[in-house]
Amino acid sequence: MKPRRTPRKKSNPLRGVSYIDYKDADLLRRFISDRGKIRSRRVTGVTVQQQRQLARAIKNAREMALLPYASRPRG
Amino acid sequence: MRRYEVMVILDPSLDERTVAPSLDQFLTVVRNDGGTVEKVDVWGRRRLSYDIAKKPEGIYAVIDLTAEPATVKELDRQMNLNEGILRTKVLRPDVH
Repeated sequence: MKPRRTPRKKSNPLRGVSYIDYKDADLLRRFISDRGKIRSRRVTGVTVQQQRQLARAIKNAREMALLPYASRPRG
Repeated sequence: MRRYEVMVILDPSLDERTVAPSLDQFLTVVRNDGGTVEKVDVWGRRRLSYDIAKKPEGIYAVIDLTAEPATVKELDRQMNLNEGILRTKVLRPDVH
């Protein structure tokens, strides 16, 4: 048997945020990679419901040019 | 009657001081149809994450209002016809 590593529980980074607002670009920026992709729940440690709200907020923010669409890095 | 939040990106070549009055002109539609405008928040000039209509920045404004669905639809239609408005987004904060 291969020894499994016990996953360490992350503290929720959205503690204290009641409504995930697409206008709050600084908050949402913490949940996208430097390429502009949405970070997975495994990386961010938020709840399922919050991840959905985040994804929707990020997509709305992209439409209004508050956040970039996923892109290849410059160069 | 429902609560709406309308975000507008305006042409950066406009004078920022004229933005609030010109938005108010659009909002007469809402007032005439019995709706109310709670707040008009002009963020001012802001860099866009990507160019819209070949423009690197835009003037952002967020409007909170209460109106009938048809009224907001008409408001959105009129805004999109205007050359000085690059983009709009209508959202119901209650369901989002």
